[in-house]
Amino acid sequence: MSQITQKKLLRKLLLQQKSNNRLWISLLALCVGTTLLLLSVMVWWNFKEILSGKGSNDSLGSTFLTIGKAVTNESMAKKGATFFTAKEIEALKGAPEVQDVGMLTSNRFPVWATLNTNIAFATEMFLEAAPDKFIDKQPVNWSWEPGDAQVPIILSSDFLNLYNYGFALSQGLPQLSPQTIQLLAFNLKVGRDPYTETYNAHIVGFSDRINSVLVPQSFIDYGNTRFAGGQVIAPSRLILKVKDPSDAAFVRFLEERDYTTNSEQLKWSKLRSVVDAITSATGLLAMLIMGIGTLVFILFIELTIAKAQQSLSLLLQLGYSPGYLSRFMFRRFLPLVALTQGIAAGLAVYAQYIAAEKVKEMNLALPAIPGWPIWTALLLSTVILLAFVSSGIYRAMHQQK
Amino acid sequence: MQLGIEHVVPIPLKDKINEYNSWIWNQDIVINPGEKVFIQAPSGTGKTTLIHLLYGLRDDYEGKIHWSAYNMTTIRPEQLSQLRASYLSIIFQDMRLFPELTAWENLEVKRRLTNTITEHEAEKWMERLGIGHKRDSLARTLSYGEQQRVAIIRALLQPFEWLLMDEPFSHLDHANIKKAVALIKEVTETNNAGLILADLEDNDFFNYTRKLLL
Repeated sequence: MSQITQKKLLRKLLLQQKSNNRLWISLLALCVGTTLLLLSVMVWWNFKEILSGKGSNDSLGSTFLTIGKAVTNESMAKKGATFFTAKEIEALKGAPEVQDVGMLTSNRFPVWATLNTNIAFATEMFLEAAPDKFIDKQPVNWSWEPGDAQVPIILSSDFLNLYNYGFALSQGLPQLSPQTIQLLAFNLKVGRDPYTETYNAHIVGFSDRINSVLVPQSFIDYGNTRFAGGQVIAPSRLILKVKDPSDAAFVRFLEERDYTTNSEQLKWSKLRSVVDAITSATGLLAMLIMGIGTLVFILFIELTIAKAQQSLSLLLQLGYSPGYLSRFMFRRFLPLVALTQGIAAGLAVYAQYIAAEKVKEMNLALPAIPGWPIWTALLLSTVILLAFVSSGIYRAMHQQK
Repeated sequence: MQLGIEHVVPIPLKDKINEYNSWIWNQDIVINPGEKVFIQAPSGTGKTTLIHLLYGLRDDYEGKIHWSAYNMTTIRPEQLSQLRASYLSIIFQDMRLFPELTAWENLEVKRRLTNTITEHEAEKWMERLGIGHKRDSLARTLSYGEQQRVAIIRALLQPFEWLLMDEPFSHLDHANIKKAVALIKEVTETNNAGLILADLEDNDFFNYTRKLLL
């Protein structure tokens, strides 16, 4: 004799829906809505990752900015008008998005560089020093102490480009690869005659971050004390560690104070606002679609319950508890919710993988798996959806006598 | 479980009840556990209404009904289902089977709720009441008499302290009534339960401890 389980009987009594079209449409809407929601969160998160991410994305958005005060016709006349006061530096430390502020110290003594090869090359030049923690790729031999004959130098990669593509070509000088340049040794003559000292200098690295000729801080401090009397002069350039350089409040902060920076580094702020607009529009649309999907889904549940109303009230009269019947209904709809959310999550993972592959071609790095904001959005939307479903079932169930 | 009925007046019958002396409506009655009560109720005096009130199916009345600690006006849905599953059983006048289920499935819906009666026993009872051959027929295809016997068996497939019956044998002949009464007596005794039977005409199916006129 065949066993009839209680579940089978309940299914027969309560879930006798012939046309399931409404169900599939609502599930489709739910799925599309959730997918769109996850994608919009993902676009926002990926863009954030590119901007404030570590490593190879650094020279792109750059979390480090050098700023100075704009030189205007008025400030030209005033000596020291472009120096940062201590108060201004304090204000910068408290500015939106700013995580750290470092001073670029420049030399206040003459520096004369000569190349002792068969190419005659001599130039007067400037040096700057930045706190070590602001230097992107710190070479191993990046140190100097009084008495050392060797001075390491980090050159801005932009300068190398200027030399190779501008200067060298027009002057008939050889173009130099970074490796070759690092092999070149040249002399640095510092100080005013007759008090001069000569050092062996060589380039140990290139920086994308700071547009300058950098030497160790100790060398600048030594030179400034020895040849310029050591009086402290306020810095005219600062280096900032910024969480999100495209943040509108930060950009406004700079503009209000007339601080200049590499405008390239701020072009992201425009792009960012476009992306923000697109993601919030998609997000809104996603919520709308999800809302409609949820509504249709709940209407479907209520319809199912309404159709089963007679059986339901008789079951209650026979002693079945409303809680038990609610749970029975909930368990029937739970796998459907899990299915839509699962499909959406699968699509999101796939989209992230594709995005990561695509940006790899552009020399950018994105994680191959969606990060926590996407999972949070998924979890949140699932919880809200389930809350709606269970309250829908509860309401429909308690309308019965 | 003790049944207390305190000055109960169903609102739809309010005017009518004031015209005559009912032994139940608007009276203060206590029925003790294990009693066998017959309620004789001429048409229109609210027989079915009373049974439904006792079973918690309606709440359009004044006064108070309580089964021991359970007050039927304030009882919560979960408590009510507990009461119906384990303490109160009922045979409806209108049978109330699931028409889309077979006779056996109708019994299974009830039996599997508490699993107090074995499948084998339930089958035996069907044979005793002469509906064994209708086991796999859809309830809607059964005659009233057959449906009534299914409803009677269904009411016995749970533990109960009280069995409420509303014209339980209205569609049965004498021979079948005898069989049904015997079965009900047997199961009621096993359960140490009391019963309340409401009908139009006087009868002596059970050894009633009291007879009331509605």
